Amino acid sequence: MAAIGQSVEPTPSGDVLHRAQQRAMLIPDCMVEAKRIANTVISGWHGRRKRGIGENFWQFRPYSDGESLSRIDWRRSARDDHTYVRDREWEAAHTIWLWADLSPSMMYKSRFGIVSKESRALVLMLALAEILARSGERIGCPGVMEPVSARNAAERLATALMHTPLSGGLPETQMIRGSSDLILIGDFLDPAETIMARLGPLARRGLRGHIVEIADPAEESFPYAGRTEFTDPETGEKLTAGRAEIVRDDYRRAYIARRDSLGESLRHLGWTFTPHRTDHLASEALVAVHMYLSGMPARATHGGQL
Amino acid sequence: MTGLSFLFANPLMLTALVALPAIWWLLRLTPPKPVTEVFPPLRILASVLKREETPSKSPWWLTLLRMLMAAAIILAIADPVFNPRNNTLSADGPLVLLIDNSWVTATDWEHRVETADALIGDAESRNLPVSMAFTADREHNAVPASAVTARNRLAAASPQPLQPDRKTAVEAITTALDGTKPGTLAFLSDGIAAADDPTMAALAALSPASLRLIEGDGDRALAITNSANEADAMAVTASRLETDTARTVPVTAYDTRGRAIANGAIAFAAGEGTAKGTIAAPFELRNDFARIGIDGAATAGGTFLLDDGFRRRRVALLSGEARDLSQPLLSPLYYINRALAPYADLIQPDQADLAVAIPELLAQKPSVLIMADIGRLPEQSYAPITQWIENGGTLIRFAGPRLAAAPADDPLVPVTLRQGERSLGGALSWSEPQPLADYPALSPFAGMARPQDILIKRQVLAEPTADLAERTWASLADGTPLVTTKTTGAGRIVLFHVSAEATWSNLPISGDFVEMLRRSVQLSRGGGVASDGKAQAETLAPYRLLNADGVLISETGKARPLNVAAGATPVSTVENPPGLYGSEDGFTALNLLPRNAELKPIGKAGLETAYTSEPLIGAEALSLKPALFTLAMVLLLIDSLVVLFMGGAFARLRMATAATTILTLAAAGLLFNASPSLAQDAKPGDDKILERLDKTHLAYVVTGEAEVDRLSERGLAGLTDFLTYRTTLEPGAPVGLDITSDELAFYPIIYWPVSASAPMPSAQAVSRIDAYMRAGGTVLFDTRDQFSSLGSSGGNSPNGERLQAILANLDIPPLEPVPTDNVLTKSFYLLSNFPGRYNGSPLWIEAQPENGEEESGRPARSGDGVSPIMITGNDFAGAWAIDANGVALLPTVPPDETQREHAFRAGVNIMMYMLTGNYKADQVHIPALLERLGQ
Repeated sequence: MAAIGQSVEPTPSGDVLHRAQQRAMLIPDCMVEAKRIANTVISGWHGRRKRGIGENFWQFRPYSDGESLSRIDWRRSARDDHTYVRDREWEAAHTIWLWADLSPSMMYKSRFGIVSKESRALVLMLALAEILARSGERIGCPGVMEPVSARNAAERLATALMHTPLSGGLPETQMIRGSSDLILIGDFLDPAETIMARLGPLARRGLRGHIVEIADPAEESFPYAGRTEFTDPETGEKLTAGRAEIVRDDYRRAYIARRDSLGESLRHLGWTFTPHRTDHLASEALVAVHMYLSGMPARATHGGQL
Repeated sequence: MTGLSFLFANPLMLTALVALPAIWWLLRLTPPKPVTEVFPPLRILASVLKREETPSKSPWWLTLLRMLMAAAIILAIADPVFNPRNNTLSADGPLVLLIDNSWVTATDWEHRVETADALIGDAESRNLPVSMAFTADREHNAVPASAVTARNRLAAASPQPLQPDRKTAVEAITTALDGTKPGTLAFLSDGIAAADDPTMAALAALSPASLRLIEGDGDRALAITNSANEADAMAVTASRLETDTARTVPVTAYDTRGRAIANGAIAFAAGEGTAKGTIAAPFELRNDFARIGIDGAATAGGTFLLDDGFRRRRVALLSGEARDLSQPLLSPLYYINRALAPYADLIQPDQADLAVAIPELLAQKPSVLIMADIGRLPEQSYAPITQWIENGGTLIRFAGPRLAAAPADDPLVPVTLRQGERSLGGALSWSEPQPLADYPALSPFAGMARPQDILIKRQVLAEPTADLAERTWASLADGTPLVTTKTTGAGRIVLFHVSAEATWSNLPISGDFVEMLRRSVQLSRGGGVASDGKAQAETLAPYRLLNADGVLISETGKARPLNVAAGATPVSTVENPPGLYGSEDGFTALNLLPRNAELKPIGKAGLETAYTSEPLIGAEALSLKPALFTLAMVLLLIDSLVVLFMGGAFARLRMATAATTILTLAAAGLLFNASPSLAQDAKPGDDKILERLDKTHLAYVVTGEAEVDRLSERGLAGLTDFLTYRTTLEPGAPVGLDITSDELAFYPIIYWPVSASAPMPSAQAVSRIDAYMRAGGTVLFDTRDQFSSLGSSGGNSPNGERLQAILANLDIPPLEPVPTDNVLTKSFYLLSNFPGRYNGSPLWIEAQPENGEEESGRPARSGDGVSPIMITGNDFAGAWAIDANGVALLPTVPPDETQREHAFRAGVNIMMYMLTGNYKADQVHIPALLERLGQ
């Protein structure tokens, strides 16, 4: 019987050039897909829904003393006895840091998933960059690209990724200043305590975070049976199960418990947590994250399945 | 032969057992190989996985299982044998072998050969000559010869389906020995005494140094000695040799093709040598018995052959009706079929053309020919049928609309019939439907109770003659004959004056119908009647012979013809082995044993000479090889299951979706049926036929006159265009038919412009048209003479006369002009008349039966089927004919384009009637139906 899961694109250590070529081949593909998905999302988006500095009309409100007279909308005020001020919708630009975990464990794809976790993570990252750049946000990638506010931010991020490949693990965050948004995409298979110890200080610095956890269906449903030898792609550690099917329930319980505890801890920090499986459409996660970014929770996620 | 000895045939192989510890070591070191999987969340898995569940080595019991398997295989190859035999032959003189190869030995012949071979081997090792004689062979040669020669003869000998002739064989031995005293004399006996059989005494008289009687199992000698067909079952008598224990043997009856069709059992009581059993089966099934055999005793004696006595009559069926399978209850043959199928073999023609079908049927030598509602036969068919009846055939006819319309000079009816039928009851009749009277005493139906519930509503009438009463088998209550008969030569004609379906009477759906038909058929001659009537010979050639295994074979070898003398029962001999004698049409069975023979053990009492009695060799030398191999195989299966279970295959299996399994099976199926090679059965002209089949085509008869044919072609082309524009029917181009050769079956309707100046169609062509109409087609005759005969509708025009000449040879039903409520007037357009170029001639179609119960308010009368014939004089094709530009070729008379439009509409209605039949008659009821539903 063929193995259920496989490591796609095994990362050879030290062969930087080869890896860059492979990445360069992958990224244009992802760009195309990212644009397509971004187009589907933008049609359902309705701005920040807040009063603020912007170009679009938001509301008329009565003039209150102390405001500049130049803000009075005389055309509206002429209709009755009150004076009104025209408010505009808030459209302030914001810095959003995108980051995807590309450690070896992300190079995994089972036959139940559509793509590998790494591919899905890159697609999500570039798609978010595309969407956010369209709405005028500043896009950055820690260690790879300084925040830029440009219409072609996604292309620039892709180009930057080609030259400075992302490494595994959580990013260096010294360069992040102010109240920015941070979007982390990865599989977060480390113990929840380790992750929280790394993310806690970020939250205390005032960063708003959005975590997208990418999982392969095989990791969640554990469809193995019989005598099976499991290998960890990161550490190379091996583990042999005599009859894999009998630990299925225990494993799933542990897996869900880990995700629950991670989601719960993140919610305590005020961060959002979006689990995503590679057999689902990338746009699902994209929509969810986008809703969070727009200040509107898409749906209650309890760290469970999608 | 003393005690239970035991040895290995290949003792050297036992040394391989030394290797067992090595196998043990190897087996211990081979754990099953795991499936390798990459798994990123290994840490989570590690937290739940218990350490080391599967041992890296096989469990001890699995290893033991495999060790046992290896040991079993080694032991099996070493071939342990119980009870080996040893050489105890007397060296005083030649070895004499008397071997029975009679019918009983067929079951254990190999053991007998082995035994004899062992004795010959013993003789060979002691350099003794061997004198050997077979008791059931044609010649008995017992000349002493070398062991090699004897062995060759032994290999060539085979069991015979005969009784042994021991007397001659012993004489042959005595002659061959010529006074020499034999050393060992072994008699391989089948254990059955022949009539006054002093074999043992005769053998003892040869004064051998040692006399051995070697016998097989007595329970193999089992024979069926008689069978009789009793009221509710077949009684079978059997005899056996060994009478100590009670025993039940199963028997099976086979039909002529060797298929088992019934089972029974014969129970022998302890101490009884003969027993009787039964094979219970319905009467009609028992008719099919051809052979009775004992299960598990496939010998010539265990088989009992049955012959012609049980044979059923063969009945040929003919009908004038188009065979319409969609409406079986309206077909007369359906009732006859259902009535006779249990009692007779029914045959039906393959073709609708009676000129071909009747000789074909008669060639199969039926006992009875049943013709249902056939008014007129093709001219050339009368002679063979008459000849066949003269030779003893029985013709049973049923009336019907066609017979009623037939002319009175039909030679194949028993009485002179009045034309037309008599209708009893109905709106215009004072009379009531008639019941049946008591059956006359001379009738074969005498003895049946008078049926109370049969009512005859319609019948054909016989012209009264002086002898009508005595030729009547059944009559109505008012005395009119219902079934009449006439003997012609050795045969007979029977006429039922009603139709064979339920429109004229309810007789066909009553039980009396079955009984009347059965009795009529029983009267016919049994063995089948050939139309040339050959007498049967006194001497019967062998037809099928029994072989030693009780199977009928067609190889007759040296068998002689059987002389059947009156009063004498033939006996099976070497010249006349048991089997069937005669030919396929009639044969006599010759069984191995005489009737009610009994099997007796061979006489040994009163024998002074001492003899030893021993069983056959193969019977007690027992090899353990098969048992050991079976054990090894079973262990292998267990081991495979264990390995699969431990490897988790069953768990995976459960997970795999059913779809995967189905796909795998389907793929395997595809693999095996990848390329079914089909026989090349294409015939020349197939492409043409397929071309005709893809579309409906209108067809016309090519008369041979260029102008007429051109008009027909253009006319049908015009109708084709009209149909294409106005209806969903889009016919192909019109087809001209040569009715003598072209296949007619593809066309729903054939347009036939009758022309007096064209050559008259041949009888064969008319017969083909008859077959076409019988098979459901319709012919539209157009005389085109509405005004040329000065308006007289009497058909005095040349074309009308020609039409009468053509119709004279056709079996046509009664006709009528299209009534106003016929479905033809409503099938597409609502029409009141059917004009062509001329107007005024009616369109004649088959008369629909008047059904008194039908409401008069209905817009259309529903009839069954479609009229097979239409006749008009209006020249349809002339009105339809258009040229290539769509302009009409001929003017209508009077010149009125409305009439041409009506002519086209008439054509459309006719086409729709052809293609939809009485479906439209149902459709015109829709307003009434909707109205009822609305309430």
